[in-house]
Amino acid sequence: MHVGGEVDVRSAYCAASVASLTNILTPALFAGTAEWIARCQNWEGGIGGVPGMEAHGGYTFCGVAALVILKQEHLLNLRSLLHWVTGRQMRFEGGFQGRCNKLVDGCYSFWQAGLLPLLHRALHARGDPALSMAHWMFDQLALQEYILLCCQCPAGGLLDKPGKSRDFYHTCYCLSGLAIAQHFGSGDLHNEVVLGIPENCLQATHPVYNIAPEKVARAVMHFLQYPVPSLDLA
Amino acid sequence: DEIGLIPCPEARYNRSPIVLVENKLGVESWCVKFLLPYVHNKLLLYRQRKQWLNKDELIDITCTLLLLNPDFTTAWNVRKELILSGTLNPLKDLHLGKLALTKFPKSPETWIHRRWVLKQLIQENSLPSLATKGNLGAAPVERIHRLVQEEMNVCSEAAGRYPSNYNAWSHRIWVLQHLAKLTVKVLLDELLSTKYWVSMHVSDHSGFHYRQFLLNALIHRTVTDDNILVQNQMVNEQNPSLQKGEESAGTEAAFAEEQSVDLPRRLDEEMELCTELIDNYPGHETLWCHSDETLNNSHHSPATSHMAQAMDVDGLNESSSKQGYTQETKRLKRAPVQDSLGPEMEYRFVDKVLSTCRDVDQARFATAYRKWLVTFLGQ
Repeated sequence: MHVGGEVDVRSAYCAASVASLTNILTPALFAGTAEWIARCQNWEGGIGGVPGMEAHGGYTFCGVAALVILKQEHLLNLRSLLHWVTGRQMRFEGGFQGRCNKLVDGCYSFWQAGLLPLLHRALHARGDPALSMAHWMFDQLALQEYILLCCQCPAGGLLDKPGKSRDFYHTCYCLSGLAIAQHFGSGDLHNEVVLGIPENCLQATHPVYNIAPEKVARAVMHFLQYPVPSLDLA
Repeated sequence: DEIGLIPCPEARYNRSPIVLVENKLGVESWCVKFLLPYVHNKLLLYRQRKQWLNKDELIDITCTLLLLNPDFTTAWNVRKELILSGTLNPLKDLHLGKLALTKFPKSPETWIHRRWVLKQLIQENSLPSLATKGNLGAAPVERIHRLVQEEMNVCSEAAGRYPSNYNAWSHRIWVLQHLAKLTVKVLLDELLSTKYWVSMHVSDHSGFHYRQFLLNALIHRTVTDDNILVQNQMVNEQNPSLQKGEESAGTEAAFAEEQSVDLPRRLDEEMELCTELIDNYPGHETLWCHSDETLNNSHHSPATSHMAQAMDVDGLNESSSKQGYTQETKRLKRAPVQDSLGPEMEYRFVDKVLSTCRDVDQARFATAYRKWLVTFLGQ
């Protein structure tokens, strides 16, 4: 994650995210990365921080998103991943848990629910006929209920669960999760599912980078103007 | 051996905020808002080269800082420099970390620094000239063993202080992989020593995941050992005239037997443990997950199937669906269902749970498990 710091799947995502947006992504830079990430998928179907570790929502998102960027999602067992992540939505609360048998947490509204658009795209690319053309494979309304009813701080900002205090991290990821839950697809296939009044509707977010899709497009366009820097030491 | 914060918003008496009782260190909370900024600032000034601190001061300051906030990476890094320059004994940092973890059992920076220190210690160990230098004078192997045991303790304590402590368990796995080298002995020892712990923490998914890791490592180990054995036999067959070859084949066989893990029995014992816990503690999803995966392993493990040549190590590493709704017919074909006793017992168990349980979640898990048995075992 930083010089002398820990090595785990998050750094792969950070690197892939930055490199792809700034057009410095080369095969040499990520040689072996995709295979390493795939080794982080375990018997549960989710992805852990390093190979051998317990499946965890945060790491799973980072792993899958990185693989999507590297165009290597097929290295994963997508069905067991799908099974694991859908099992993480809590039947009572509607929100998501980070790992099996743990409590719900607002931030997983993005880390976990955000996996479903990625999986949808990957399975669609394989020509899976059973895929819906209107909804993600999780209960979008239930998630929105959890976020809107349980995760808002009366003084503003959002949080993990009732009783916790607000912070920027939870505010960011609760809102990101809300955006995911409200918007299916894009362009011709765009389908909005908004709980409550229309004003609740947020702007859509890009499921890989979690910034507005237009911003992703602009960044990519901007950096394409520049040549890919060479790794040779002058 | 333990630190803590004593809630005490106002300094009532004009005395030190440090309280030491029975080897446990407490700090009254009112002083933190003075102490922390003071030491923090001092360290930053040092780092910015605006104010010099000598080695002893550095050691003291970083120690204080880290006991108040162990996620302060810079403080750990200062200590790394001190260790590298030979001024600070790495074992001190292991002790400091252990103390910090009593109050901050998840602290990521503490675990990360701990791994760095351990890597330093192993490197020292591997240099023969340094083997007897310093601390223990014991044989390197013995030293490593003691380090490993201590790490297991620290992890266990930290795991007990915070439910599903991902960082503690992940450190534990790291230690086994990098210090203990995943020997059969250590894997079996760990299975034994964590059995009681997980029975006392039935919702701790991380704890049970650790057991899955141990079992998987054992399966992998058996496969590797069998491979070595087979390879050696092949080599010896090619050179029958080599006396030495025959001897080592004999020793290899003996070695393999000695080391051989009765895998089917281990997996059966694991199933028994699951069954017992599920019965006693209804409604814990972790237990059912663990049960699914153990059963999966006992039917797909090459050690229990006669198709040893398949050596489907890759197949094992390929993640299996924990509830087998997927069409994993390829794997089902590879491993013949050895004993019909296994599944029958499982059916009887599930039916019994369904008919006697009153917990809604338990019923739901049992029903799902039953569906999985049917799909998975095709019976």
